[in-house]
Amino acid sequence: MEQAKVRSITEQYLQTQGCHILESTPTYIKTQLSIEADKDLLNRPLYWMYVEKMSLPPQPARFCFLFDEKVQLDGERGEHLFFGSPRFTQILHSAQKKGRFVRLYQQPTGWQRDSTSKPYYPWLAINYRVSYICDKKKEQLRYLGINLYNGDLYEPFYPTIRHLNWTPKLPPRRHLLEARLTLAEAVGEAEYYLQESLEQEDAAWATEAAKRLKYEWEQLDAYYPEPSKRSPEENEEWKQRRYELAWQYQPRIEVDVANAGLFYMETASLDHLKH
Amino acid sequence: MQSFPTYWDRTWFEPFRQHLEQDSGWATWEGFQLAVEATEALIVPHFDTLLSLQQIRGFKPLPHQIEVVRKVTGEMRGRAILADEVGLGKTIEAGLILKEYLIRGLVKNALILVPSSLVLQWTRELQQKFQIPAMAQKKAWMWDQYPILVASMDTAKREPHRNFILNKNYDILIVDEAHKLKNNRTKNWQFINEIKKKYCLLLTATPMQNELKELYNLVTLLKPGQLGKQSHFQSEYMAGKRKAKNEEKLRTEIQSVLIRNRRQDHNLQMSKRIVKTVLIELSPAERALYDEVSRFVRSQSNQEKDLKNMLSLLVLQKEVCSSRDAVFHTLFKLFQQKEHGKESLSPEIAHLIQLLRQVNYSSKVEKAVELITSIPEKVVIFTEFRATQEMLIRELTREGITAVPFRGGFNRNKKDWMMELFQKRAQVLVATEAGGEGINLQFCHHMINYDMPWNPMRVEQRIGRIHRLGQTNDVYIYNFATKQTIEEHIIWLLHEKIQLFESVIGELEMILESLGKEESLEQHLMQIMTQTENDEELRHHLHQWGEKFSQTRQAVAQKEELLYGTSQGKIHH
Repeated sequence: MEQAKVRSITEQYLQTQGCHILESTPTYIKTQLSIEADKDLLNRPLYWMYVEKMSLPPQPARFCFLFDEKVQLDGERGEHLFFGSPRFTQILHSAQKKGRFVRLYQQPTGWQRDSTSKPYYPWLAINYRVSYICDKKKEQLRYLGINLYNGDLYEPFYPTIRHLNWTPKLPPRRHLLEARLTLAEAVGEAEYYLQESLEQEDAAWATEAAKRLKYEWEQLDAYYPEPSKRSPEENEEWKQRRYELAWQYQPRIEVDVANAGLFYMETASLDHLKH
Repeated sequence: MQSFPTYWDRTWFEPFRQHLEQDSGWATWEGFQLAVEATEALIVPHFDTLLSLQQIRGFKPLPHQIEVVRKVTGEMRGRAILADEVGLGKTIEAGLILKEYLIRGLVKNALILVPSSLVLQWTRELQQKFQIPAMAQKKAWMWDQYPILVASMDTAKREPHRNFILNKNYDILIVDEAHKLKNNRTKNWQFINEIKKKYCLLLTATPMQNELKELYNLVTLLKPGQLGKQSHFQSEYMAGKRKAKNEEKLRTEIQSVLIRNRRQDHNLQMSKRIVKTVLIELSPAERALYDEVSRFVRSQSNQEKDLKNMLSLLVLQKEVCSSRDAVFHTLFKLFQQKEHGKESLSPEIAHLIQLLRQVNYSSKVEKAVELITSIPEKVVIFTEFRATQEMLIRELTREGITAVPFRGGFNRNKKDWMMELFQKRAQVLVATEAGGEGINLQFCHHMINYDMPWNPMRVEQRIGRIHRLGQTNDVYIYNFATKQTIEEHIIWLLHEKIQLFESVIGELEMILESLGKEESLEQHLMQIMTQTENDEELRHHLHQWGEKFSQTRQAVAQKEELLYGTSQGKIHH
């Protein structure tokens, strides 16, 4: 990741977390952290526990983020940031945590003459992270959207709607169509769809890992004496080793949700937004 | 149908529903977008690309190190013996592998077991080079508190620590100096065997020192069954204790779990070593002291049975080549032991002290000053003796040469500070300790061996401080040799006979190990020295030892080739 990107993410983070920028130069940013950002970035739970227990005025820290390796700190609290540095990873994790769920309404597009209210369609957006795991691992993000009014499913939802304008308040002369799917039903649909789609994928990686596991198990079994001749200790050890191999190789997919949101939109379909 | 399970994490649903119910606590649109961007940045898009390489700063791993990481996380699937020769960066390879697995979320907790003298160095290196939040284990409560711990093997295998460790499942276990695990009857081996682990790295520069069984034990610890049952291994691969058969097949088996990079296999751009012997004529007073001390050592050692006293005599013999101050120190101690309870000095010792008093000038110091002044660059001086070190600092300072000391006994802060002083302010570093805690002096390329250790390993460690991967200049090594002393002979042996200085002897440790298990080289040399009548005889003995060294070197190299091939998997002839 380029340093420019590291910087832009950091700036956006400070902004969304309500941190006050004290000084910004091409090589560093000095900031007054907000309470929330201090808690997430500076690893001082004891301080915050103390402040809260004693009802003291909280004093979040000032911090200087440096983006140029050659520039040194001048006795201030701060750190060099780059992709892979623990502090930047903390920023990313904090950003994930703080931006997990939204409920947003589309900004009306175009000029409206009459005063009749227009309907908004409710969409549930779920950004799934799919992890393919054996002794190796890869991940993929799947951006699903389910129309709660008519049950339509759309992928990729988030990338398609991210260029629209959104507001946290329902704009005037707009009303919400009632969802016909419950949240739980919609999630069920999404999972069903995703599972189907995963089953269509090339699973060579998993086949190979399973084959390798079988081979390793056989090699292990040949090393230990036959079951009837094993001492209890040997048997325990054998079981442990078999478990370790399964732990290492067993192919599986793990799915979790990175973030989710309810988006109320002017249209029932997204097809016209495709690029 | 998919033949493997899919696990759904649904813990997000309840909090989401609650937000909706209360219609509060929502993130902003910007916050949501940033969260997606963060997730995208942290994602692991492929099985096999190395993400760790983009996430380190301040150093560039070498091609052979990157290759090791690729191989271990790829075809070796996280269980491997890293057996590069000394100085090729096993620690860097292990650090990168750990980093790669951490980034991928395949490792969340790690245990790193190392000799106690290396705990802090490992911890610091993981933190500073790799930004891995490793902690040095100090107290028992830490086992459950920190996910990534560096601990001393000796501590870890003892209760209560042992119990803490055996109750855990470690995503990765890394063991440094793993040749200590070559015997499966030892506590060390059994302890490592009991630890529950997913991935495992064993680091050693000498995977096999003597017997094939050692290699079998190491591989079996890593992957039980890889080389079959012991009986199978013996009948299939062993022609004798030290002799293999079915070499090709054995080599294939070993290469699937062991990686050994050697300097000769890689075009590792090491700069040249330029070695100069600086001959020094002793002054008459120094000569008298040298002769008398040597005579004293010889007569004492021939009647001495106590090993401890033998060692003091050995030290004394070396010291008299180093400095008057060093001799005085030991003589004083010897005197305290021997003469305890006596009213007056024995005439022998009194005589030595008398001679010592008459040495009021050091030919070596004069040479050192002359040499250092003629080199307008940084110089590191190694001596074995603290008394010499202090004297040198004093004398150099008197001559207007800025010099700082360095000792193994300094604490970390002081070491760092001295290094910084040397790099930024001083011309000379006078060091007594070369091994152990890593000091890297790549910014310097002149070294003086003010006195010479009799152990080739220690000499190599000294050179290794400045002549390492990353040294861009040719390295100048000046060996101080006082004429017609034992020093001259030793330097002849190390320099001319076994060619210790010109290039790195990768297998040095193994050669020395096979040469003499019973006694150290130092004691052997001492014996030669005290039992020979004249220089000619001495030379003869040294020559013989040198021959034995060369033969062993060849044998070791052959064995190497047989077992590991080259790291490219080919065999050179």
